[in-house]
Amino acid sequence: MAAKTKVRSAKKRRFINNTIVHVVLAILAFIWVFPIIWVILTSFRAEKGSYVSTFFPQSFTLDNYVKLFTDTSILNFPQMFMNTLFIAVCACILSTFYVLAVSYCLSRLKFKLRKPYMNMAMILGLFPGFMSMIAVYFILKAIGLTEGNLIKVALILCYSGGAGLSFQIAKGFFDTVPIAVDEAALLDGCTRWQIFTKITLPLSKPIVIYTVLTSFMAPWLDFIFAKVICRANSDQYTVAIGLWNMLQKEYIDSWYTSFAAGAVLISIPIAILFLFMQRYYVDGMSGAVKG
Amino acid sequence: MKKRGLAMMLAFVLAATGLVGCGNGTDGASGGKEKIRLMVWSPSEDQSKDSGEWLQTMCENFADEHPEWDITFVYGVADEASAAGQVAQDAEASADVFMYANDTITTMTDANALAKFGGKYREEIESTNSEEVLASLTKDGELYGVPFTTNTWFMYYDKSVFSEEDIKNLDTMLEKGVVSFPMTNSWYLPAFYIGNGCTLFGDGTDESKGVDFSGEKAVEVTNYLIDLEQNPNFRIDADGSGIAGLRDGSISAIFSGSWDANAVKEALGDNMGVAALPTFTLNGEEKQMMAYAGSKAIGVNPNCDDMAAAVELAVYLGSAEAQRAHYELRTVIPCNTELMAEQEIAADPLVMAQNNTFNYTSILQPFVSKMNNCWTPVENMGKGIRNGSVTHDNAAEQTESMNEAMNSDGI
Repeated sequence: MAAKTKVRSAKKRRFINNTIVHVVLAILAFIWVFPIIWVILTSFRAEKGSYVSTFFPQSFTLDNYVKLFTDTSILNFPQMFMNTLFIAVCACILSTFYVLAVSYCLSRLKFKLRKPYMNMAMILGLFPGFMSMIAVYFILKAIGLTEGNLIKVALILCYSGGAGLSFQIAKGFFDTVPIAVDEAALLDGCTRWQIFTKITLPLSKPIVIYTVLTSFMAPWLDFIFAKVICRANSDQYTVAIGLWNMLQKEYIDSWYTSFAAGAVLISIPIAILFLFMQRYYVDGMSGAVKG
Repeated sequence: MKKRGLAMMLAFVLAATGLVGCGNGTDGASGGKEKIRLMVWSPSEDQSKDSGEWLQTMCENFADEHPEWDITFVYGVADEASAAGQVAQDAEASADVFMYANDTITTMTDANALAKFGGKYREEIESTNSEEVLASLTKDGELYGVPFTTNTWFMYYDKSVFSEEDIKNLDTMLEKGVVSFPMTNSWYLPAFYIGNGCTLFGDGTDESKGVDFSGEKAVEVTNYLIDLEQNPNFRIDADGSGIAGLRDGSISAIFSGSWDANAVKEALGDNMGVAALPTFTLNGEEKQMMAYAGSKAIGVNPNCDDMAAAVELAVYLGSAEAQRAHYELRTVIPCNTELMAEQEIAADPLVMAQNNTFNYTSILQPFVSKMNNCWTPVENMGKGIRNGSVTHDNAAEQTESMNEAMNSDGI
């Protein structure tokens, strides 16, 4: 009898604990998701203007999305979207290659400058990138990359150039792949490049995917470099500059709901990438041992 | 910190312009025509098809008028407020002719990125503009641009709620309908203080005189504003709540500028009224609200290759003809005195309201560098009144500390 009540009270206690935990989590989740829901609702709002007195729109419409893609005379969103996509994809490919190659070298090759390089990267990494923004602008200008379509090249260089410094996470992952595997391959006549492409990379899918994700997101979301380098070349604007323009005094009243629509649209590619790659992403971050 | 950043930026600008040198020289003359490349920046509406491609049309007209030059135009997008930052960042790679708001003059003159107008051009500009407009573009006796519109704020109201008589006084208006004012915005709030005799830098140009927002005259205004905020017919306009209120009818008057004209027209239709600023009643006396006013102008880059053509183009873009086209295509309110005298334009209530505000119920917004210290303290005062931390009991003290902050360089 006594044992039975004990079991029941333990169950009860667990039930109460779980309830409390879930209620707290639900509240946190609500607070977290709330702004996103608000942006999505605003993007479908039919009433114009930046301010409304009700949380839920009085009526819904798709016009805000239509306007983004049809009203291109003042702010050409489709062009900005394509610019950004092009820059982000190129920068992503380049910097993924840089990061993985540097990480592999630092993890597997023994050379004299290895330690000094890692220390230097650590120290350089402490400075914010936009500190050198103006200097970068003038260097690009001196090479002649600040006009016309070359601006895209300039931006791709900006976003991928510093990638060699952010090797830490990938290097940590490569370190967990047993050296014995490499040695076996060497004995069988593999070159270093073949080891890298045929053995290390296939064993490190999670970290490859993590690197791809982060190096796609940086140029996709960046505002500050794009703003400094694009200047008055409106045909080279990226989405971030376009969205910022929509909130200027002259445009905010007529473009605010379209701004929300634009914000939803740019989060879609990232959301899709994350949904597909979430599993690898978590694995990559935890540095799981493979081999 | 901000200042140091700017100084560093300027140092970079100087160093780099020294190093990089000049890239695009003009080609030799061909067929008796001088080949010229002019880069022109304007807000994107001036170049959009929907609003008539004002800039392109004007530039082509200009080219037709000057057969001696073979001009290639290169267009870029920079609105008046941000052009100064772009030009100061790298004057050499910036437009030859651009549009800017007059409060950014010092940013560009400090970077040596704004050309002076002299000789016959200056005479021409002076003969077609009012003294107030010219004063807004003059620094140390030098004229720095061709004005094409004035820039200030005034009152939009619902004609079905307020009569012509009501709108002369803010307190009368508050008895009849709901009025909204951007109290937490420091471009608007000083209107009350200046109305009661507070001054900024003497007449606005003498930096050494400092800001005088102190003493009884300022405290009276703070007390008035506290009562105003508590008036049930008063709403604070922030984040576009004013214009939203006009749309749903909960607000009948707001304070804003010409950029909101189309939205207000849409909201109020035939009941849309526009007027210069009203007075307010302070301790039984009528005081006039005084807005900050400035102008927008066309500037010329001193680094351009063809100074003569650039200056000619700037003067042309600010001429009566170009201003008329600007007004017809985009309702940019003209400031040319000849144009203002014309029946058709003078009859437009929007033009009247903006110009009456500019001429009678405003002060020239100071553009001395110390003006930068004046925005945050005033904004904090507005926010303090809104959230109740500024009360009748501590009004004197709070006003004094606002004045102190406006006069200090500290952040």
